[in-house]
Amino acid sequence: MDYTKYVLKDREELASLLEGKDNIFVIACNKCFKEFESVVETDGDEFAAFAKEQGKNVTGIVNIDFLCNQLLTSKKLEGVVPEGTDFIAVVSCGLGIQIVADMEEIPVIAASNSLNYIGHHGMALTQKTCGACAQCYLNITGGICPIVDCSKSLLNGQCGGAKNGKCEVDPKKDCAWEKIYQRLEAQGRQRDFLDQPVQLRDYNKSNFKVVNDFVKEIRDGRLSGYNGGVHPSENKELAENIPLKKFPESDVVVIPTSMHAGAPAEPVVNVGDKVKVGQLIAAQKGFISANVHSSVSGTVIAIEPRPHSKGTDVLAIVIQNDKQNTLDESVKPAKPLDELTPDEIVEIVKDKGITGMGGAGFPTYVKLKPGKPIDAVLLNGCECEPYLTADHRVLLENADDVIYGLKAIIKAVGAPKGIIVIEDNKPDAIELMEAKVADDDMLEVAKVRTKYPQGAEKMLIKNVMKRMVPSGGLPADVGAVVANVSTAVAISDAIQKGMPLVERAVSVTGDYMKEPGNFMVKIGTNVQDIIDHCGGITREGATVKMGGLMMGAVLENTNVPIIKGSNGIIAVNTDYTEEKECIKCGRCQDVCPMELAPLKFYRYMKDNDPKALLENNIRDCFECGCCQYICSSKIPLVKWIKAGKQAIMGVK
Amino acid sequence: MLITQLKAKESIDALVNGKAFIINCFGCKEVHFPEQEAISLQKEMADAGRVTGTLTMDYICNPDNLKLHTDNFKAEIDAADIILVFACGVGVQTVSDLFADKKVYAACDTYRLPGYQGVTPQLFDCDQCGMCFLNGTGGICPLTACSKGLVNGQCGGAKNGMCEVDPEMECGWERIQKRLTALCRIDVLKNLPVQIRDYSTDDATKECKETE
Repeated sequence: MDYTKYVLKDREELASLLEGKDNIFVIACNKCFKEFESVVETDGDEFAAFAKEQGKNVTGIVNIDFLCNQLLTSKKLEGVVPEGTDFIAVVSCGLGIQIVADMEEIPVIAASNSLNYIGHHGMALTQKTCGACAQCYLNITGGICPIVDCSKSLLNGQCGGAKNGKCEVDPKKDCAWEKIYQRLEAQGRQRDFLDQPVQLRDYNKSNFKVVNDFVKEIRDGRLSGYNGGVHPSENKELAENIPLKKFPESDVVVIPTSMHAGAPAEPVVNVGDKVKVGQLIAAQKGFISANVHSSVSGTVIAIEPRPHSKGTDVLAIVIQNDKQNTLDESVKPAKPLDELTPDEIVEIVKDKGITGMGGAGFPTYVKLKPGKPIDAVLLNGCECEPYLTADHRVLLENADDVIYGLKAIIKAVGAPKGIIVIEDNKPDAIELMEAKVADDDMLEVAKVRTKYPQGAEKMLIKNVMKRMVPSGGLPADVGAVVANVSTAVAISDAIQKGMPLVERAVSVTGDYMKEPGNFMVKIGTNVQDIIDHCGGITREGATVKMGGLMMGAVLENTNVPIIKGSNGIIAVNTDYTEEKECIKCGRCQDVCPMELAPLKFYRYMKDNDPKALLENNIRDCFECGCCQYICSSKIPLVKWIKAGKQAIMGVK
Repeated sequence: MLITQLKAKESIDALVNGKAFIINCFGCKEVHFPEQEAISLQKEMADAGRVTGTLTMDYICNPDNLKLHTDNFKAEIDAADIILVFACGVGVQTVSDLFADKKVYAACDTYRLPGYQGVTPQLFDCDQCGMCFLNGTGGICPLTACSKGLVNGQCGGAKNGMCEVDPEMECGWERIQKRLTALCRIDVLKNLPVQIRDYSTDDATKECKETE
């Protein structure tokens, strides 16, 4: 079963079409809705061979995935049609042909016919179709569709022409109305059916104008700011109005030496040592690494590998909390911001172990030394992940610290302005921030559309600054530095109080979290303790994730500590689906904000072709998970892509 | 591309005799699903004690994955008198196939979007006529760009280039004429024999596919 969309016209028709025409360029669509067996389909070649047979000069051929995707197709076709081409032959369904005809100034030959199916299919290769009548009859017919299953689309019972249960129009087909009768009889519902009034189909119900307006609206949304993106159910109402509370002191904290991108820090304390809040317990090792400080005062009781949210055991410093919260001597305010030099700010950020708090955990001090002129600092308050509300609460409750931190970043990188970017689903935060920056010429607030992954670095820059970070480049290459709002608060604390990054805002939420909330949690606090504090998880078998729904890590073991990048603990539905074969529905390419083709990465991995991965820019993928979220075959595309990035190591 | 809209509240209310198990399909939500209306209606039903459980998943049109999910909600489904499905017609049929002995009801009506064959909601539409007319029309489809689906030139009813059926729509045949003139191919149209749409190609192309 496949839903392949077109067949080449027959040879006779093609021959007459080609009569008197020459210098033909061939554009072929790689087809959709069929099992994904090979990257390139052969119909284009077949047509080109036929044209040559007819003595025609073929100026070239190009195969394109999802030719009907106007945005991507127009980019792919830029400068592809060679000089001296008189006609373009398109091998595609009617959509692709019209797109090319609309785009090119050279006459287009339609070399194929669209295939017609009765009804419209779903997103799986099954026999079921829907007539899209806009007045679903399934409620009175026991779930069997009289429009697509009856050859005559009768709505009020059978025509009387069936023989032995088979249709008189197509003897291979079961009579739909006999099937409906049997289904209703088995369910004891014949009476219900007989009591129904006569059904009249209203052909006017699918009003094209309404539908066309609707298409325009979705297309605009799809293309706003950047290509694609997705809109998972936000479910922020579970926790967005719950103020941040200090999480109760734990008896023991487990602080991993690796809570950041790069090399783990090296312990500088020994078992038995007394430590204080804010004391350095593991020192940065190498350029991409970060200092680690104690979040409590007490005694080091172990330095050993402990379970970590990334799934493996990581060397951690275990501290018995004396609950005195005695501050370390190093915790004292720095000079006022006005008196600090950019280098001093960078030094404080480095010294206090600050890393990106949006999830990736990149050491912040590295970002603050861009080595290039910076036009703007973007402060990321999008929090585009569903469920999470920690950044939202930070914006509302620590607005002044957010602004202080932003100003410190601006000063460190020498930028002329800072922009606080917030999604339009947080109107209260936008209002508050706008009021706070009203008198400041350097600061502004940008309201952006709620769409995942709006908060991704590259998307923010593209959307707000209309600049594209080059493939393999960094934000600084286009004059931007992006930081998370919680990171700004951490920088503010480091300067104003001298406090290292030892606690953070965490959303504890999800459909199955009994009492959701937002907490200021000390680094090293046990996740299971937090879940217990929130009343536990209400559905057995629910999935617990650290981080958001889209990019968070599934916690098989909840006996792990909160780390610097832990913005949330969520308990959500478990996905019981199993991976199926790719059916080339094209959704992944449709939603990829980086305009990549995730389905191809999957195919090339299966074909063991790392070179092709590289050529298709697999490195530009930042693993937002839109493709995996939308995949109709539930293929774990992010896993394949991660493996793909390993596979291209060493490929030239 | 199929999209759905909620049926009227009264008709959904009338369907639910006793208790319902609810299945939501969010598979095509990126294109459209009346999420807020559906969820608030379901909340109302749940508050009134008329719901035994709710399953929200993607792509219930895939029978294997539908089964994997519903297996985990066996008790809730058994306790329900009916299954109320918020999905397109394909989804509802897939559920009623899987639960052939259960009353399965559709809470939505299904519409189709232009360009349903392709991936994104499209500017262009294809009627899958099985005998592509685009060669004679400069790549503008007379079936979908003309309100009347005429294949042999305009009806004569257009006013100032706008369609007489829908004054906000450009006359498809005027567009075709302009495009062909711009391409210096207007003769192609003039020399074309009278076109006859063969509706039987619908099944013929399908059969040719199946026997391949």
